[in-house]
Amino acid sequence: MSAPLLELDGLEVHHGAVHAVRGLSLSVDRGEIVGLIGPNGAGKSSTLHAVMGLVPVAGGAVRLAGRSLVARRPEDVARAGVALVPEGRRIFAELTVEENLRLGVAGHRNGDRKAAVAHAYELFPVVEEFRRRPAGALSGGQQQQLAIARALVAEPDVLLLDEPSLGLAPRVVDVVFEALQEIRTRGIAILLVEQRAQRTVALADRSHVLSNGRLRLTLGPEAAADTDTLVSAYFA
Amino acid sequence: MSIATFLGADWQTLADAFGLGGIYALMAVGIGLVFGVLRLVNFAYGQLVMAGAYALAFAYERGWPVWVGVLLCFGVVIALSLAMDLVVFRPLRSQSPAVMLVATFAVAFLLQSIALLWFGPLGKIAASLSSLNQPWSIGGVDIRKISIVATLVAAGCLVALVALLGRTSVGLHMRAAALDFRTARLLGVRANRVIGSAVLLSGLLAATVAVMMTVQTPLVTPDFALRDTILVLAGVVLGGMNRLISATLGGFAIGFASGFLGGALPTDQSQYLPSFLFAAVILVLLIRPGGLFTRAGAQAVERV
Amino acid sequence: MRHARAALELLAPAFLVIAVGLFGTTVSSSTETYVITTLVNVAIVVALYVFIGNSGVVSFGHMSFVAVGAWTAGILSMPTGEKPAIMPNLAGFLRDTTVGNVPSLALAAAVGAVYALVVGLPLMRLSGLAAGIATFGVLEITHNVLRYWEKIGPGLNTFSAVPETTGLLQAAVGALIAIVVAFMYQRSRYGRMLRATREDPAAARAVGVSVYGQRLVAFTLSGGLAGLAGGLYVHLLPLNTEGLYLNLTFITLAMLVIGGLTSLWGAVVGAVVVSAVDSFLAEAENGVQLPGGTLDLPAGTRIVVVGALMALVLILRPSGLTGGRELPLPRATLRGLLTKFSA
Repeated sequence: MSAPLLELDGLEVHHGAVHAVRGLSLSVDRGEIVGLIGPNGAGKSSTLHAVMGLVPVAGGAVRLAGRSLVARRPEDVARAGVALVPEGRRIFAELTVEENLRLGVAGHRNGDRKAAVAHAYELFPVVEEFRRRPAGALSGGQQQQLAIARALVAEPDVLLLDEPSLGLAPRVVDVVFEALQEIRTRGIAILLVEQRAQRTVALADRSHVLSNGRLRLTLGPEAAADTDTLVSAYFA
Repeated sequence: MSIATFLGADWQTLADAFGLGGIYALMAVGIGLVFGVLRLVNFAYGQLVMAGAYALAFAYERGWPVWVGVLLCFGVVIALSLAMDLVVFRPLRSQSPAVMLVATFAVAFLLQSIALLWFGPLGKIAASLSSLNQPWSIGGVDIRKISIVATLVAAGCLVALVALLGRTSVGLHMRAAALDFRTARLLGVRANRVIGSAVLLSGLLAATVAVMMTVQTPLVTPDFALRDTILVLAGVVLGGMNRLISATLGGFAIGFASGFLGGALPTDQSQYLPSFLFAAVILVLLIRPGGLFTRAGAQAVERV
Repeated sequence: MRHARAALELLAPAFLVIAVGLFGTTVSSSTETYVITTLVNVAIVVALYVFIGNSGVVSFGHMSFVAVGAWTAGILSMPTGEKPAIMPNLAGFLRDTTVGNVPSLALAAAVGAVYALVVGLPLMRLSGLAAGIATFGVLEITHNVLRYWEKIGPGLNTFSAVPETTGLLQAAVGALIAIVVAFMYQRSRYGRMLRATREDPAAARAVGVSVYGQRLVAFTLSGGLAGLAGGLYVHLLPLNTEGLYLNLTFITLAMLVIGGLTSLWGAVVGAVVVSAVDSFLAEAENGVQLPGGTLDLPAGTRIVVVGALMALVLILRPSGLTGGRELPLPRATLRGLLTKFSA
């Protein structure tokens, strides 16, 4: 049995004196959607940042297809095949939509860049429509789609998403989550950090509940309707 | 009566103003490019121009052909820029703005004093291109060649720059890095490559400026281009530090005004010009920190 | 324990100053000038530290206050008969008034403080890069005005005929006054509130500290001390606007950085060490006798050495020689050393 694509083993992340993540272990394999949910300040974003090399890993291991990602620069992690859709989308408002996508191609390792861009347009037609407009002219939901498209253009093996549904209307969240279903069929491993517990638990193959930096509970999609379990896990 | 003569100036002064404006615009770009990707104001930028001028003087003293001197100038300036990046900018990238500020100020002083030590205070001559000081006769009016050449060269460089930034990958990466470095890195933009490119470009511009400046000021002393750098910095702040275009416009405006007033105003009225200029800089920092040539309420340098 | 540490915070720099002063009594008169200059530098750097060290905001403009203090003390203490020689266009009040040594110093401090207050009122809202540029602007404006406005001073001319009252005692006393004031300020509520804003501006604001107000207090106080130092300076050497401009800005900042930006001990150590190095190099530039032979350095070496030292410190050890901390108690140092070796 081959190693899972993305593996976190006893991950420790510190923010100064605060232990943001304590001994977190999880794995995501090709074509899987794994959710990471929990209350504010639980350490979910810190986990993603540590994987990307934005914050230093204080302990434990982060492995991509068996090879360690620890102490590598963010751009090197991106080029190794891990893409992050950051919290708040962080698109370049002053650049055009097309330029934003071209930036995504920066992390592309090999192969057909044009096809990658075409793929992204297929998934999010609204992005193609606004190609030449400054990205700042798009609505929140469209910007979120752009942010995901931009991450996909690099044809990553692993996709990390940091609260993509933040500030979006439910209908738009539908579009985004449907896109994630489609992305998974391409064989990409998806780690989804979210605050909307129920939808995430329903969508993901399994969801880990993080609270105070520690993994409290792992839920399958069948638990999506069980509010009591969710609530108790959050406030553990 | 044309506007120029009404203001007491003449065509030569106007041409000078455009020429100086162009040169200052290039310096503003050099400073702005590095600021955009590093958030660092290189107080020592003028020393790059100084080094280039000394290289030209070196070649002139030995009677080398002009193109050799220019090549040497570019080589020296680019080497010095890269050295500055490696030795000073990169180690300091993670420090507070206060430390970065003091550090580039120290480097500026250090380089100037090294030049003083090495070449002495009397200065060297770099007159290989002095023929450009001769006038062209255009429509019955005599205008120095260098004023026109400087304007054209500056315009050409700026056009090339716009093309570079707008159409190439490197340019796109630099623009993105200037907007949001962290996210750019997340997308695979290589930090070191972007910074190196910005430093290289900024060095090329400094060398170009050195070549043009030595035409009108063939005497190269350790404080060569010091006054100009301070003025360009003021212009960049006035125009708007955070965007390359506003910084460039600011640099151009200060250069143009400087060249124009320098020719048009009698000396005793221009004594307090630096004070008015810096009072304006302080006012802009307080009231419109984004700069004069940006949208109102633009974000800029920090305020309490 | 706390009181002992506080006492050391004051006594360490004070004793260093006294030691330097005593050293000055034992050397030749030419070396003595270097020692006196060192003590005046201590006063300037301590003034600089009071603002920069406590607020974390860099000011490139403090030599303006030194200059203004020097102008005040110099002009007012010159004998009336001598003034027209270098200041023919002086305004009436300044031309006809002459004050004694101590009043001139007191006025220098007062004018420095007032000027700093006026400048600080708009500027203290700025931080980081903006503050650096704005204070640089103040330096430029002051330099420009003092150089050309002949109604208030000698303009381009050098001060002469100012009574040379800054000997070892006056310089040492001046430096000690600066140290005591800096110590009292940093121990006071105001000093502590300002340092809180340096560490974490958001948190400080959240507990009601006015960042703007505290910075203004420190800026004004440091302006007064700088003015005093300027007064001391003008009574020591013939000064002109160029000597109180970029070179002095650079070297006093270097002293503060090399010693340690964030502590009083650092400010004093930096001033003493760098002045010593600079003085030695100045002598070497004229040819100095060493045990091995004669050392004759080319003119301009001193600034290169000081500049290189400053750059090195910034890159390798930004907290300076003292680590930016006050001198710890001997027991604490020993304990610290022990834990380092046993861990």
